[in-house]
Amino acid sequence: MSAAARNSLLTTPPLPLGRFLVPSLLVHALLFGLVLGYGALTARPMLDLDQKPIHATLVRQGTPRDEKLLPRIEETPPPPKEQAPPPAPAPVVVPPPTPAAAPAKRASPGQKTGDDRQKLLGAFDQLSKSKRAPEISGAVDGDVSGDSSESEGERYYGQLSVQVKRFYDVSETIPDQERIRLVAQVALFIDPSGQLARFRLVKSSGNDLFDGAVLDAVKRAAPFAPPPGHLRNALQKYGIVLQFRP
Amino acid sequence: MQPTRLARCLLLACGLLASRGYAQAPLLEISGANFRPLPIAIPVPQALSDEARPAAAAFDEAFLFDAAAASIFQVLDRKSFLADAKEGFTGASITFSRWADVGAEALVKVQLAVDGTSLRGEMRLFSVASGKEELRLVHVVPLNEPRKLAHFFADALYRQYTREPGVFQTHLAFVHRVGKNREVWLSDWDGRDAVVIAKDGLNVLPAVAPGGTGVAFTSYRSGKPDLYLERPGAPPVTLVSAGQMATGVAYSPDGKHIAYSLAQGDGTNIWQANADGSSPHPVTETSYFINSSPSWAPDGKRLAIVSTRAGSPQLYLLSLDNPREPRRITFQGNYNQTPSWSPRGDLIAFTARDERNAFDLFTVNVDTGKVTRLTQDQGNNSEPSFSPNGRLMVFTSTRNGLPQLFVMTADGKNQMALPMERGEFDTADWGP
Repeated sequence: MSAAARNSLLTTPPLPLGRFLVPSLLVHALLFGLVLGYGALTARPMLDLDQKPIHATLVRQGTPRDEKLLPRIEETPPPPKEQAPPPAPAPVVVPPPTPAAAPAKRASPGQKTGDDRQKLLGAFDQLSKSKRAPEISGAVDGDVSGDSSESEGERYYGQLSVQVKRFYDVSETIPDQERIRLVAQVALFIDPSGQLARFRLVKSSGNDLFDGAVLDAVKRAAPFAPPPGHLRNALQKYGIVLQFRP
Repeated sequence: MQPTRLARCLLLACGLLASRGYAQAPLLEISGANFRPLPIAIPVPQALSDEARPAAAAFDEAFLFDAAAASIFQVLDRKSFLADAKEGFTGASITFSRWADVGAEALVKVQLAVDGTSLRGEMRLFSVASGKEELRLVHVVPLNEPRKLAHFFADALYRQYTREPGVFQTHLAFVHRVGKNREVWLSDWDGRDAVVIAKDGLNVLPAVAPGGTGVAFTSYRSGKPDLYLERPGAPPVTLVSAGQMATGVAYSPDGKHIAYSLAQGDGTNIWQANADGSSPHPVTETSYFINSSPSWAPDGKRLAIVSTRAGSPQLYLLSLDNPREPRRITFQGNYNQTPSWSPRGDLIAFTARDERNAFDLFTVNVDTGKVTRLTQDQGNNSEPSFSPNGRLMVFTSTRNGLPQLFVMTADGKNQMALPMERGEFDTADWGP
């Protein structure tokens, strides 16, 4: 184009876009490059299948059993006794004063009354009828509702594990050869109130009966206890993965 | 850069950042499932003629017991059934919704017919959810053996679900106490259809011979304990008659060898011989201790024995290649005896006396040494013997007063008395 034509008012001069576009593109490319590079360097699968699983259990309260003794079958702890409501206060009746109340007749020290004998016999009877307290083995500082003699991990996860295990019913007909290699993973997200926000099977075991059983266990176990403060955000945002083995 | 490409890059970046979040989810291991038996409905078998009715009753009793003892089924109570008693035998004529309503997940129907001196049975297995016929089987037995037909069908049912061999056509050998005598008997797996093997005198510690055709046992018939083999209707065979006492014979898994204990001098040692008692040789050679109760590992290369070399009877593992260095595997309790090695290889069941002086059953894991209690607070329980598939075990229990034979799973569940006649029975051995 000639200089005359370039300066003519009839033609539209080209916009100086290049001046802005090129640096902008360079800056964006740099930013994306950084993001992509960071992602590639730290990329992991959606779920880190190699991470060490948590074995969270609640510890049973009791006295540790002597290791030289043969084991006993752990019995479920008795349910907490319901406290009877306090009796309603009876109306106070003030007896009219008696002019001379005769003192009660007391038995001499060497003489046993029929009541004493009854009391003694009753005490023996109660002693013979009283049930031996079930032996509970565990840790002295354990949890009353604990069901294991081993302890590891976060207490909330222990409670979660116990809750899910309660509903972890699998068909007995699954052959032993299959049982040893069955592994399924379920991701679940728990909201701050303990409700199950959502869950899904993230790794199938390959056995429909087993997959169905683990999903059923999670569904029936909800709702859970509200997570503690330090886990609340993580359980809602990132969830937790339960890895089931028979 | 094109706008679409720009959007793609942004999405990718967001995705990568989000993946960091998922990776933060902790992994909580959950194991120890409650294995739940499959709810199964087994209506009364249909007898196609009056002649078949007595056989149907005997069949029904045996079949129901097999299904219940299998421990993989929850046999539903017939009183709860909603289906018409005259409901048909084929899938098209069955109202599956009525079976689903009572909680059944599987339905077994059986028809029995008499054909001359034979009993012909047909069994059909249905999935209640799909209405699909999953198994159909026809089998013929002599008319006087309806229980054998029941065991055959029970084995087929078991195999259908577990793809493992059942145990309902296997045999038990046991001791029947009659007055001062101890008799050895051989029976079906449930203690029924029993035949006497050794009647008079003291006959103890039986072991089912290979093939389930006879029983080897310890007998005092010569005045001292020796080992004999007897088959129904055949003359007895002396296996071992040596030393002061030969006791407790055990067949190797391939049936070619026997192991037993032999007392000579001050010691009692484990010996090994061919199945007919030939070529005997000692496995242990201790001078003063008692080594007894051999039980073979399923590989046939090791024995579990009881030895007092540590001062009290404890379980040891012996490698037949290097028997001089047995490995002690029980350290809890001070009186552990009668080992029975599971045909699966992982567990050894045994009797132990606990601190309350009660005899109970335990298993010890061969690899980890972990001891697990199977019975507790129910009389004395002793002398376990694994079923040939390792899923169940038979044992003696005094929980009802007299010693009786019971069956349970290898982990101690579903303990049931065998449906035997009233009497005193103990020391059962479960063989092929």
